[in-house]
Amino acid sequence: MAYKPQYYPGSTSVAKNRRKHMSDDVEKLRDISDEDLTALLGHRAPGSDYPSTHPPLAEIGEPACPVREVVEPTPGAAAGDRIRYAQFSDSMYNAPSVPYWRSYHAAINFRGVDPGTLSGRQVNEMRERDMEEYTKRQAETEMTDWGLAGLRGCTVHGHSLRLQEDGVMFDMLDRRRLEGGVIVSDKDQVGVPIDRKVNLGKPMSEAEAAKRTTFYRVDNVAFRSDKEVVEHVQKVWELRTKYGFVPKA
Amino acid sequence: MVKTASVTGKPIQIKIFPQRLLQPQTAEKLLNEIDQVKGVIRMLIGGKNLPRKVTSGPGTGTDVNHPNLEIIHVGDCAFELHVMVGEVVVELKDECAKEELKKACERALPFSFEFKEGHFIKKKATLTDYGKYGFKSKTDERINLEDERILGLIDPHAKAENNLCIINSEEEK
Repeated sequence: MAYKPQYYPGSTSVAKNRRKHMSDDVEKLRDISDEDLTALLGHRAPGSDYPSTHPPLAEIGEPACPVREVVEPTPGAAAGDRIRYAQFSDSMYNAPSVPYWRSYHAAINFRGVDPGTLSGRQVNEMRERDMEEYTKRQAETEMTDWGLAGLRGCTVHGHSLRLQEDGVMFDMLDRRRLEGGVIVSDKDQVGVPIDRKVNLGKPMSEAEAAKRTTFYRVDNVAFRSDKEVVEHVQKVWELRTKYGFVPKA
Repeated sequence: MVKTASVTGKPIQIKIFPQRLLQPQTAEKLLNEIDQVKGVIRMLIGGKNLPRKVTSGPGTGTDVNHPNLEIIHVGDCAFELHVMVGEVVVELKDECAKEELKKACERALPFSFEFKEGHFIKKKATLTDYGKYGFKSKTDERINLEDERILGLIDPHAKAENNLCIINSEEEK
């Protein structure tokens, strides 16, 4: 029988969603074209070549190294792409992804990632074309509801704020907004206007967001209602505390 | 209307904290409803800042053009909102107007809100205020302000003309 990793304990909908995010078993909800995504990220002009920071690895002629022979470089590393970032903010009002789960998703399912996790946002640095592939995956699937999350390179304020009247997470720089029932964006992730209006699809209803979220909330699925998760978290804390006292263990 | 700070009477302060951040139209409706309540001494609007320009990152200096930077009309006064309104603190002359204020909020807000009584705006001058306005004269140590209601409404370093709006009451017209 093939081994199937068990990523996260628990039987509640939140625990199941967390497992889905970690295993990349996520539903695709919308299409965002490569050009639109490149424009939103704002690192290079849509359609232009990837600027490089070093020649392709095949041209450099790498030294003989058993590790290099075993580990195949990612497409971005092989081509010598620059390191670039994508950063998402997620509302605590039942956004689909907890920032930590964006990191888990990136680190488990992609290579060459440098995830940085904060309370309300998650930044991921990768080689440019690898980063675009990873961002597309998160942006098009149920991991992101563009009403409750946003691609924000700076001025990320919004995670812990009340939602706006229209149910959208506050964005100080007005990068994306609700127009005619869909979320549209006409700025890149750092607030610079782009030459197009990108349609990011319909925002989730409150009920759907509550169903798809990975946030534990007392007014939805409470953390303490999932005994297996509480037991698991307590066990991890106990073991890491003991390990702190007995390093040789 | 008496132009002294609230320390002279027995006023109360109420914080109205809606469940959602308000669009300019709802904020305008709410503020006008509150303005109609008899016994309102002053109001303080709080919320999330709406900058005119991007202040950090590679896009620094780019215009934001936030659609919620709108001019709203409250009473006989028009002013531009600098924030997405998240809370309103109202000072009332006494307890009697509290129920009327709550009804005004219920009429204006399409969702639930918190209605808390407490001490939210300062009621008497502090050292910072004396530093900014000074004494009335060498012999009179009261603060050099014609209308003490502005105490606590604006930041000591902010300019009053962009942040303060004086609405005349019916008796004063």
